[in-house]
Amino acid sequence: MPQAPMPELTSSVKLKYVKLGYQYLVNHFLSFLLIPIMAIGAVELLRMGPEEILNVWNSLEFDLVQVLCTSFFVIFISTVYFMSKPRTIYLVDYSCYKPPVTCRVPFATFMEHSRLILKDKPKSVEFQMRILERSGLGEETCLPPAIHYIPPTPTMDAARSEAQLVIFTAMDDLFKKTGLKPKDVDILIVNCSLFSPTPSLSAMVINKYKLRSNIKSVNLSGMGCSAGLISVDLARDLLQVHPNSNAIIVSTEIITPNYYQGNERAMLLPNCLFRMGAAAILMSNRRSDRWRAKYKLSHLVRTHRGADDKSFYCVYEQEDKEGHVGINLSKDLMAIAGEALKANITTIGPLVLPASEQLLFLLSLIGRKIFNPKLKPYIPDFKLAFEHFCIHAGGRAVIDELQKNLQLSGEHVEASRMTLHRFGNTSSSSLWYELSYIESKGRMRRGDRVWQIAFGSGFKCNSAVWKCNRTIKTPKDGPWSDCIDRYPVFIPEVVKL
Amino acid sequence: MGIVRENRVEVKSMLTAVSSKPSRSARVHPFTTLDNAMSRHTLHVIVYYPRSPFGSFDLDSVRISLSELLSMYPPVVGRVAKTPDGILEVKRNDAGLRTLKAKVCVGIDEWLRSADGHDESDLTAWEDMPEDPSTWAPFRLQINEFEGGGVAIGLSCPHRQADATTLTVLLKSWTEAQRRRCIVHPPSFSPLPSILTDDTDAVKPNSAPISKPISTKTATATFRFSSSAFKKYIEEEGIFPKASPFDVFAALFWTRVALVKRKSHDRVCLCVDFRRLLPNPLPYGFFGNALNFSSLEMTNVADQGIGHVARLINDHVTNLTVEKIRSDLNRVGEQGLVYGGDLTIVNMEHMIVEGDPMMYDAVFEDGVRPVHVSYRIGNVGGEGVIMVMPSPEKGFGRVVSVTLPEEEMSKLLVDQEILRFEPKIILSGVK
Repeated sequence: MPQAPMPELTSSVKLKYVKLGYQYLVNHFLSFLLIPIMAIGAVELLRMGPEEILNVWNSLEFDLVQVLCTSFFVIFISTVYFMSKPRTIYLVDYSCYKPPVTCRVPFATFMEHSRLILKDKPKSVEFQMRILERSGLGEETCLPPAIHYIPPTPTMDAARSEAQLVIFTAMDDLFKKTGLKPKDVDILIVNCSLFSPTPSLSAMVINKYKLRSNIKSVNLSGMGCSAGLISVDLARDLLQVHPNSNAIIVSTEIITPNYYQGNERAMLLPNCLFRMGAAAILMSNRRSDRWRAKYKLSHLVRTHRGADDKSFYCVYEQEDKEGHVGINLSKDLMAIAGEALKANITTIGPLVLPASEQLLFLLSLIGRKIFNPKLKPYIPDFKLAFEHFCIHAGGRAVIDELQKNLQLSGEHVEASRMTLHRFGNTSSSSLWYELSYIESKGRMRRGDRVWQIAFGSGFKCNSAVWKCNRTIKTPKDGPWSDCIDRYPVFIPEVVKL
Repeated sequence: MGIVRENRVEVKSMLTAVSSKPSRSARVHPFTTLDNAMSRHTLHVIVYYPRSPFGSFDLDSVRISLSELLSMYPPVVGRVAKTPDGILEVKRNDAGLRTLKAKVCVGIDEWLRSADGHDESDLTAWEDMPEDPSTWAPFRLQINEFEGGGVAIGLSCPHRQADATTLTVLLKSWTEAQRRRCIVHPPSFSPLPSILTDDTDAVKPNSAPISKPISTKTATATFRFSSSAFKKYIEEEGIFPKASPFDVFAALFWTRVALVKRKSHDRVCLCVDFRRLLPNPLPYGFFGNALNFSSLEMTNVADQGIGHVARLINDHVTNLTVEKIRSDLNRVGEQGLVYGGDLTIVNMEHMIVEGDPMMYDAVFEDGVRPVHVSYRIGNVGGEGVIMVMPSPEKGFGRVVSVTLPEEEMSKLLVDQEILRFEPKIILSGVK
């Protein structure tokens, strides 16, 4: 009997070593080729001796013109190469907004307000309670002040105050952390999907901080929870065109005007999940920032599935029968997210995966196409390409789905789950809270690669790949500073309310 | 009388103030027999400040210190629940303190001059407990801003859950948290010491004894007596030297009210806080009810000299032993309403700690002390209540608040013996 488990153990260990050996062989193939060649060359040179080497050199009969032409050619090729190489885009630092304790929403308070406001609709109240129990949120998530009133007072003034509170606090913190002066900001991008006043939020920022009159400012609205990475992409493109510049990105979602006041069940769901949050990010293409920057942007891939009707309608803002505006989430949201992710992975895979995985994927693809269509498709192991994963904390289902699809361990999705627990779904800024979690845990080392995946209405799936530029010390302040020691927490499947 | 009372307080908004940290504990707080005896009454504390510490309200630092304080008081943010046996208890579910904001259309001085007890009740928020108390907030805070500056902070709760000392300590701790001082009296949720609860039965399910409904309209007035008035009276009447201001003022009002009631009203109920009277004193932060209600009798009290009555009261209070307190605990609430079943005199001398009245030390901003603190009991019985409270000026002065049926009050307001002391009369509804 003790013999039976042993062969399994030894065979799994053997398999592990075989896999490791294969990966080393394929990933460092060129080295494996070059080393023997260099060794042979060195042995040859040593064998030949200095006089023979000189004889060989003279026999080549170089004259001045040939040498000069060759040198110019080499210099010309190098110059073209360095000029056409895209500029390195650095993420210097970022700051996440931490709401005041007065904005906290315990489960009991949320359910009590829900019962008091929807007193004629007990079924809707029950529905909200079931969602909240299974949501993966904790007792410390925050809603803006206007939503704490019975009934909520979502006036435009209240929305503006929320925007000012979250954006200005995050930006003040960013300016303090980086020592940047407001007049030195060259590019400003603000993204907030559901609140778009006139003048825009970016104009509000320019007014508050007295930014320069020739600033390149952009305000993105309506682009959903993946707008954060769209802003990063836009900043990257602008930084390619403008040398020696920096860009500030503000990602937020203003909850006040979008709290659904009706009782249609599918539209009550966002009320239970969306919470207050914001992030301000400083990016730069200046060479002088390469020492203090935290990350370098390696890749950014955007995938839009809007051409498909089902994807387009799956997150849809509309009026209910009583005229209340809310966001309708369709039941196939998870399936559509899975499809969008597959499309995104197909593009990003070849850019980030090591050669060993790409070869295996290619072989399995050939196998499926030519030999046997029923062969299981090979899912490349993304854990070899990245050390850290930041999955948009859209909801527990999204994180579960991605963990299953990408075969990630609990520790890989820990940042996403804990951000959902502590801050709720803060929309486009959640990726930055997750990154801050990883840094606060002291896990971010120089050379680590981070994959940020965001989903958004449309339906979009955007990914960004960052490479850590310097080992990051645990930050003394930041949104996690007072509670990181309590994390990770165990989040039960269903919290009893 | 035909004067239609206009409502000068307008409630603008309502929200729920939450604690800053989740309670993380499934502990429940049961009610003692004393708590259950108080269940007919409600308790309201109103603190008047000449300058409001509130600004925009949503983002005030005062709100943040309130949230931090509420983390120390889980029963205040919890909810009442019924066990399967029908017994009420408080669950620590963090639901929060209901907070209302209101505006008063007159200035604070005008209010103190012309408002009466009914007007003052507009400054506090109250709703009776429904059949299903799961979404009912027992503790309610109302912030009333006066025209031209000034604020009245009204805190209400069922008397079953807290007594006046508990609410006063809570408000004072809030101001200490706001000024980043150390909290002098942190809350204590230990049960009453066993020496007091040994012979009581297990908690009976709540069955309020039947008592006569209050049919008469009541009126309230507050009399402010200065320190010098007390000293003058002591000298003139030759009262025994060990008399405390409570003894003297309680005696004064007992005799004058007895005269006004025109009965030979011999019995009063004396309410004394027993936190510091036990051999192992309870801390001021003890959360809940720690009140002793005892009866005191004297024949033809209206004809007695104040000195004589004061001595009787003094002896009674000094002789409150643990055994007496325990036997009074067993009998409390037998006659129905605790306050007002007989004329009730409330003693608040214990709130003066080292010469400083606790409630007037609840200061949000340096130099802005409360100008007045009112305590109101809801559902008071027909015989009335006399509360002898500390004065904002330290020393021997006292503030006496009287609740009586309307007719008796109008006679008391012109009583010469009381007016001899030259009290300043406020909150009596004089238009």
